[in-house]
Amino acid sequence: MLVYQGINSVGPVSLSCRQVNVNRESQLMIRQLAAFLGLLIFTGLALAERTPAPKNAYVYVGWPNDGEVLYGNRPFRVWFGLRHMGVAPKGVDRPNTGHHHLLIDTDLPPLDEEIPSDRNHIHFGAGQTETMLELPPGRHTLQLLMADFEHMPHDPPVYSRKITITVK
Amino acid sequence: MFTVLGVVTARAELTPAPKNASVYIIWPPDGAVIRGGRLWVRMGLRNAGVAPKGVEIPNIGHHHVLLDTDLPPLDEEIPSDRNHLHFGGGQTEARLEQLEPGKHTLQLLLGDHDHTPHDPPIYSKKITITVPPY
Repeated sequence: MLVYQGINSVGPVSLSCRQVNVNRESQLMIRQLAAFLGLLIFTGLALAERTPAPKNAYVYVGWPNDGEVLYGNRPFRVWFGLRHMGVAPKGVDRPNTGHHHLLIDTDLPPLDEEIPSDRNHIHFGAGQTETMLELPPGRHTLQLLMADFEHMPHDPPVYSRKITITVK
Repeated sequence: MFTVLGVVTARAELTPAPKNASVYIIWPPDGAVIRGGRLWVRMGLRNAGVAPKGVEIPNIGHHHVLLDTDLPPLDEEIPSDRNHLHFGGGQTEARLEQLEPGKHTLQLLLGDHDHTPHDPPIYSKKITITVPPY
């Protein structure tokens, strides 16, 4: 909203200062153009409107630790840490909440779109705060990303450090 | 007669506990020594989800920290005072500050959408921590 007002008021004024022969018609045109551009930007902002992140929100992988070596072909527990923010299942639109997504062996997805749902992006839409995981031998990365009631990351996005574990 | 009916109805209205759900204190460990009397309590929940108060969907609850107290009556709303801390915002970590030097107990109790324990109730082991003299 502020951006819209800014463009509408500043645009025509600064333009008219630079132009020597400005008649009423061109001033009107410029004003209409500025209003149109402002409307476009405003619409864009509205479409991209995202849930604000709680202040100081902090998500982290509680366990395993970065560099952890896990043995055997058995599932291990991953617990999700979250501070200054609450957990709410998907579809529950409450301020200062979100639900966890565990990113396995992948980088952060685009942060202004719905988080994909596949074997690399595990959703915990029931409000779970831990999970059991079984991974094949090798190096793997884990990272947590919070999302709002519609699986969209917050603004600014709340994500953890990416950790690396080794399964032997 | 009405009282009896009332009690029966109230009992019957307890939210069923999610199957195999359990709540536990991830940190601190039982017997921990907490210097300065300030700590984050990390609250763990298995086989159920966390939801803020007022959200009525199956298999969820929200955490309550019982500080220096026993379990309250398990068929009524959990009290809200300095010994019964509610985390109705769906929090999974509790910041405790200014704990007096001495021994303190911590226990978790899960509450449903209106702060009442489930049936059967879901609560953790009670642990003891010690705050040394400042």
